[in-house]
Amino acid sequence: MSSSAMSCEGTGWRGRLIAEGANALYLHVPFCVQKCAYCDFASWATPRGDTLLARYAQALGKQVEEASRLGMLDHCETLYVGGGTPSLLGENLGGLLRVVGSCAPELSELTCEANPESLSGTLLDDLVEAGCTRLSMGVQSLCDGELSELGRVHDAARARDRVVAALAHGLNVSCDLMCAIPLQTAESWQSTLEGIVSLGVDHVSVYPLQIEEGTPLGLKVGDEEPAWNSPDVQADRMTQAQAVLEGNGFRRYEVASYARSPQSECRHNKAYWTGKPYLGLGTGAASMLTREGYLRLMEVCPQLGPLPECMSRVRLKVLSSRQEIAEDPQLPSLKFEEEFLTERQAAAEDLMLGARLASGLDAGLVAYARDLLGQSVDETLARLVREGYLSDALAPTEKGWLLGNELYGELWDLADGCETLVRRSS
Amino acid sequence: MISFGAGETCSACAMMSRMKTTDTSHIRNFSIVAHIDHGKSTISDRILELTHTVDERDMADQLLDTMDIERERGITIKSNAVRVVYDADDGESYQFNLIDTPGHVDFTYEVSRSLAACEGAVLVVDATQGVEAQTVSNATLAMNANLDIVPAINKIDLPSAHPEEVKKEIEEDLAIPADDAVLVSGKTGEGIHDLLEAIVYLVSPPKGDAKAPLKALILDSYFDEYRGVVATVRVFDGSIKKGDHLRMMALGDTFLCDGVGCKRPLETPLDELGVGEVGYVVTGLKDPALVKTGDTITYEDRPCAEACPGYHEAKPMVFTGLFPIDNKQYENLRDALEKLKVNDPSLIWTPETSVALGFGFRVGFLGLLHMEVVKERLEREFGLDLIATSPSVDYHVYKTDGEMVDITSPQDLPDVTRIDHIEEPYLKAKVIVPPDFMGAVMQLVVDHRGETSDMVYLSEKSVEIHFDIPLAELILDFFDQLKSRTKGYASLDYEIGDYRTSDLVKLDILLAGEEVDALSFIVPRDRAYDMARSLCDKLKEIIPRQQFEVPIQGAIGNKIIARSTVKAVRKDVLAKCYGGDISRKRKLLEKQKEGKKRMKSIGSVEVPQEAFLAVLKVDDE
Repeated sequence: MSSSAMSCEGTGWRGRLIAEGANALYLHVPFCVQKCAYCDFASWATPRGDTLLARYAQALGKQVEEASRLGMLDHCETLYVGGGTPSLLGENLGGLLRVVGSCAPELSELTCEANPESLSGTLLDDLVEAGCTRLSMGVQSLCDGELSELGRVHDAARARDRVVAALAHGLNVSCDLMCAIPLQTAESWQSTLEGIVSLGVDHVSVYPLQIEEGTPLGLKVGDEEPAWNSPDVQADRMTQAQAVLEGNGFRRYEVASYARSPQSECRHNKAYWTGKPYLGLGTGAASMLTREGYLRLMEVCPQLGPLPECMSRVRLKVLSSRQEIAEDPQLPSLKFEEEFLTERQAAAEDLMLGARLASGLDAGLVAYARDLLGQSVDETLARLVREGYLSDALAPTEKGWLLGNELYGELWDLADGCETLVRRSS
Repeated sequence: MISFGAGETCSACAMMSRMKTTDTSHIRNFSIVAHIDHGKSTISDRILELTHTVDERDMADQLLDTMDIERERGITIKSNAVRVVYDADDGESYQFNLIDTPGHVDFTYEVSRSLAACEGAVLVVDATQGVEAQTVSNATLAMNANLDIVPAINKIDLPSAHPEEVKKEIEEDLAIPADDAVLVSGKTGEGIHDLLEAIVYLVSPPKGDAKAPLKALILDSYFDEYRGVVATVRVFDGSIKKGDHLRMMALGDTFLCDGVGCKRPLETPLDELGVGEVGYVVTGLKDPALVKTGDTITYEDRPCAEACPGYHEAKPMVFTGLFPIDNKQYENLRDALEKLKVNDPSLIWTPETSVALGFGFRVGFLGLLHMEVVKERLEREFGLDLIATSPSVDYHVYKTDGEMVDITSPQDLPDVTRIDHIEEPYLKAKVIVPPDFMGAVMQLVVDHRGETSDMVYLSEKSVEIHFDIPLAELILDFFDQLKSRTKGYASLDYEIGDYRTSDLVKLDILLAGEEVDALSFIVPRDRAYDMARSLCDKLKEIIPRQQFEVPIQGAIGNKIIARSTVKAVRKDVLAKCYGGDISRKRKLLEKQKEGKKRMKSIGSVEVPQEAFLAVLKVDDE
């Protein structure tokens, strides 16, 4: 059984369930130059000069300061500014990083998502100066035809140029790549993968395109599953990506993430998969807090109703719109969707999320889950090993990567009562 | 055939007549009969509107059809009796009891039941379509019941209406005088007033003796959790009021009448149901089985001399296995079937056990539509998740030891070595179709093992083709194909024929090497290969890809005669991170799991419900 570096000292895995603040901070920037055809994320096309951009960034900064005053960020190690297109904030982005830097003393990884189109040299200078350490670039493809089919605003040349510029600024650069997209062939995918590798980035994320209902792409495609997005094609592309990237010295450390070295893994994303609490601010942003963290946030947020009995984990989602946040940035004014998990559900969720990592299920987590959920944990794990989803080290196999939903579903079912309590803040 | 009712003076004022029992001379009980889609329900609605029974703004289209399924499919399944008060041109108020009848070929049983309660029938014929198969069969039923017939030609607002020709068809095909046929439009309401006047004058008032012992026929009944069984009745003699001690003549049970009333169309309590009237009786009986449609209600201490003539019991023609996906719902399914039987007496069932599907019932239906409707009602109204297996007919299997057994489920078929021969039920069917499609229909009949026996020109524009056909062919896809090959022009009618010997074999389906009894069905030997091949192909499309490869095989006995393969699924994972929005990921997993719950695990293979009816779809391409 593997014993990952993430295992918790002293209190064991249960320690994570009683941490008081957040280990990670996520800020959501819901603006884009234009909306991509496949996107169903919280993001809206916004003109570059719109004053809402600056007001929204400043509002987020105020919320960060407020959270910091509560002590929520005392042990916050990573920041991730995602979107949307954070780089669209221009100089306001650096400003926001500086605020977070001053509020979170233990911060050591600061990631910003950026679009090649809006990543200017000036912006790069400013980001580095503001403490940014990582840039996650939405490259998606290095084939112009595929990019325009996706509705992306940049072309391959611009993407290459901006990736190199970011590397030259000394940043850790990650590239998001998308497979099973219109026009893509095994050859074009190969050239995208090799092209990205040759630029010298240290981190790559690979996602098969998910056709979402209600998006322009979903409407265009209709009920028919297009050949370019069939599960077989997705499997082929994911397998191909693994072969190319591993052949070039990368290691797949998470179902969708590859890194050249342990140091270049994204610590922020790993917090999501390892039961560490995180705070998410901005329209649509998700938080995961312990009971204690939630009670602390309640001190300033009376709209968060009383904590229901026997709940040990809370997942929040900000429902306030961009305008509402810009106009009234106070934490007590935010609207949330609140989801509560029992300790059993939280443990099952941690197993489910842990199965996404190459390091496999943490021994401390398994021991803790067994104490809590009983023999069924061993029975399920044994079955998943027997059926070939997990290795003997309880790490996902090739089958476990490709048929993850089956694996995750089985582990989540260990909660034995999967219905969670959901409500909206009043 | 047509008699005239006398309009006598009514002493009570109009308002009173709405509350009290009415003199029989001012009552008209009638049904509306028609071919499907000729507009019966729309005309019913206009009548309710014109007599101010319902406000125009409360008017949902087709108000008489109360079940969801009826609304959605635009068909009338359950009969319904509604009372309206019509202030006629002669200054008198008349009580009309409109007894709605179903219009689909599956439901002729209910049509005859409804007609027994009436003195008259409005025969609706579409002005653009003319007389069709069910116009003929329903008119025949009405004439056999000695009803006064009021012909009405509907949809005269349509540009393609040709009422004069339709009148000719009514006279020539049905031998019903049509000179005075009322021209109406259910859509615009035109002519509805004339129709109501025609009903007053053409339909006889009910006869009956108000002083005689009670004699009331049960037309229909439904179960109410609080009041027990409520029966819809037609009073032929005597009267009923709350507190009467009553008896069911056939079944013998006694009960205290807990109230009477009529539907307008909502339940309206009355003091009394008088002679000639139609209304409901609250029996208080808690066991639906004690109230049988067709039974006669009378006084406990002063019974009538003889019961109303009984109905011929409807004979189920199509049998299918109904299994709850979750076997724990077996008891619920039985309770639900019992509740449905209260107002659907044609429903019959016996317990059935399947290796693949567990415990369920073999249920007999009047036809395929009846089967679909019952299955949908069980799922919607009782919250059951059901699998229906391929429909079968009642085979007579003669064994080598001379014994004959009825087989309604393929899995009960004895071993080949013990079968001497098998007989299957045939139908005497007729199709009315424009001459252009004659060849297409004859080909279809031949393809389905039928034999054409006669062809008659009804007019220049329609030919009636008579043929004998195995019922088993008709319940598969004959009707759909008939519709598509004749561009919807054909209408089909049939009656039960004789049993004939056929060379039949049992076709088995194996999934991942295991025989699935619920997928077996009985086919003619010479078509077994084709059927097996197309069924294997169809199942390959229906069964979703699993974590492993699933071979599908068709076999007769030990011999594999067809094969296809469902390839293994290779990728099923949500890789995207969604900014730490784990709730969203979990919701997607839950949704997938819900989808699986709707499937049945057979061995290790997840099989969706529709796979068990795949045989109905094999000729779709």
